[in-house]
Amino acid sequence: MAAVAVKYPAFQELGVEVLAVSVDSVTTHKDWHERELCRMVEGGALYPMISDPDGKIGHLFGVYDAKTGLDLRSHFLIDPHEVIQAMEILAAPIGRNVPEILRQLRALQHHQATGDFMPCGWEPGKPTLAEKADASSISGKVWEVWKPRNAF
Amino acid sequence: MGIQIGDKAPDFEAQAYHRGSIKTLQLSQYRKQWVVLLFYPGDFTYV
Repeated sequence: MAAVAVKYPAFQELGVEVLAVSVDSVTTHKDWHERELCRMVEGGALYPMISDPDGKIGHLFGVYDAKTGLDLRSHFLIDPHEVIQAMEILAAPIGRNVPEILRQLRALQHHQATGDFMPCGWEPGKPTLAEKADASSISGKVWEVWKPRNAF
Repeated sequence: MGIQIGDKAPDFEAQAYHRGSIKTLQLSQYRKQWVVLLFYPGDFTYV
């Protein structure tokens, strides 16, 4: 979550609010924030740290693990119409990739703004697919306009 | 069946620690903007 705190300005630049959720109490959130996050990141975490003590929110999103009583490490990208556009769930020992979350947001925002299709590994500045066209129009012809190296 | 892409995000109300204070917030108060909802197993963890 410290890595998310470091990149919080990048989320803000995209007009995205970050909401962090765990089963810890708000008192524990405050304690962790003051004792550790503030020492790792200048200013600490500027996003709300939500308390989900009974796992109710995690359950709503299908990420509450009743065996451990914890919310699984996961993220959901929710658009301005309150629709879920992306989700990822990870095993607890595996950390997330914050730049990838930002990439997904940029791709989703670009798609919603233009109607373009956002190919594998798309980053701003890279070519999109079938701009303002329906997918069927490039079916079988993707090889002509997109190369796998564009993914990396 | 669990939540799926294209579903409306279920609203919730909860307590949060934010910039030094404790407040109550709802997911729906962030409508009209993009939201990243991040779950994590716990404070004082190292991943």
